[in-house]
Amino acid sequence: MADKGNDPAVIWQTMIGEMEKGFNSFANQAMASPEFSRVMNQVGGVSAGAQKQLGELMEKYLLAMNLPSRAQMVGMAERIQSIEGQLNEIKALLQQVHHNSLTPEGGYGTPRPPRTKRPPSEGEQK
Amino acid sequence: MNAPAGLDLAGIPERIQSEVQRAIQRSIKGVEYFSSSGPSLGSTPKDILAVRGTMNLYHYRPMADEIYRVPILIVMATTNRGYILDMVPGQSFVEFLLKRGYDVYMLDWTAPKPEEKRLGMEDYVLDFIPDCIRRVQQDSGELDVSVIGYCFGGVLSLLYGSIFHDGPMKNLICFTTPIDFREMKLFANFSDRRYFDVDRLVDSVGNVPPEMILSSFEMLRPASRAASQVQLWENIWNDEYVKGYRMMDRWGTDTLPLAGEYFRAITKDLMWDNKLYNDTMSVGGRAADISKIKVPILHAVAEHDHIVPYEAARHLISKVGSSDKEEVMLKGGHVSLVAGANAVKRLWPKLDNWLGKRST
Repeated sequence: MADKGNDPAVIWQTMIGEMEKGFNSFANQAMASPEFSRVMNQVGGVSAGAQKQLGELMEKYLLAMNLPSRAQMVGMAERIQSIEGQLNEIKALLQQVHHNSLTPEGGYGTPRPPRTKRPPSEGEQK
Repeated sequence: MNAPAGLDLAGIPERIQSEVQRAIQRSIKGVEYFSSSGPSLGSTPKDILAVRGTMNLYHYRPMADEIYRVPILIVMATTNRGYILDMVPGQSFVEFLLKRGYDVYMLDWTAPKPEEKRLGMEDYVLDFIPDCIRRVQQDSGELDVSVIGYCFGGVLSLLYGSIFHDGPMKNLICFTTPIDFREMKLFANFSDRRYFDVDRLVDSVGNVPPEMILSSFEMLRPASRAASQVQLWENIWNDEYVKGYRMMDRWGTDTLPLAGEYFRAITKDLMWDNKLYNDTMSVGGRAADISKIKVPILHAVAEHDHIVPYEAARHLISKVGSSDKEEVMLKGGHVSLVAGANAVKRLWPKLDNWLGKRST
């Protein structure tokens, strides 16, 4: 086998690793500056602001078109979620009743193991 | 002509042959990679005990003939899915615990829906966690419960433990849990209060989108995604490497949105005012002073954690009021501490050794 120091694959991998570290370190230094935070948040703020304005415009448009608004859809989703929650509760209760009828002592098809385990002594531990 | 020192000319044909074979394998496996869906994750048998909006409580079916008295509730970080702790058989923290005789429950999260944007810190700390603890007590028939919190799940567990310090938490284990948010320097800079208008963001978008959360994580190491893809291509002939890559990549990009009010509280109380570290934190009007925590506590931190640097996590142990407390620093990063080959040989046995004695 060729010496690892001369192996082109190893040299390539080392180079990629070093480039990654170097770039990350450089970028981290740049991102730690207040200027970076200011610019990043300005861009983010503009985008969020535009999203809000677009949302308001859409709301008016939907109203004019006699279509349900987002708030109304959210209200409906809330009600559906509440129904889903109740269905899950009923499902869990039914499962519990079903399992209990199979095994009177526990909530599973097979009885649960006893809670009697002790930690292995120091000598037993690997 | 002599070969340069260290260069073995006799090995060159063998090496060329191996590289050619790998190049062929790369082409074949590359096609397979894009046409297959990857390993199935989080498949340890479990029962869903409760689903309430973003909150999901699972109970994993025991795998040992005899189990410890005290059940465990794992509280997952709210930004990511819990299957990082249950990847595939042989690389699943949950499966490891079950085989070692623990009774394991997990509080996992799904994406909060638009109407859940009003969920605040108090919903997580004063409602979801206590509700899950109650359900674990009811299901297991035991009053004591050990809690394991990963990353921000650790922060939520600390807040819960400091408010409900009279019980029923029996032991607390935190993995890579920050308490000094000034020391998460890049996140602190991204959310600099002079430039970051959290109110405007939350009021505009409701829940904070997962793309924004993912970008902020990826910005911590901007070159790493590209470098990992180069490494994937080089190793695509290696099935084990590809399997590991796919598991981590899928989990890493499966980021959850954060409920708007909850994000607002994290930004203002933790990132800006550093209230947990300054002992001024409160949740829903109830003081959350971590010095009130007296139960045995283990804090595992990673030597090369780029998300929660050691400086952000190191004061946890000195600040809790427990007399039985330990911090352990292990090799690895924020994720490799808890999942993958590194965790299998370092964190998991350490945790088993620590928790077994305290679970009877």
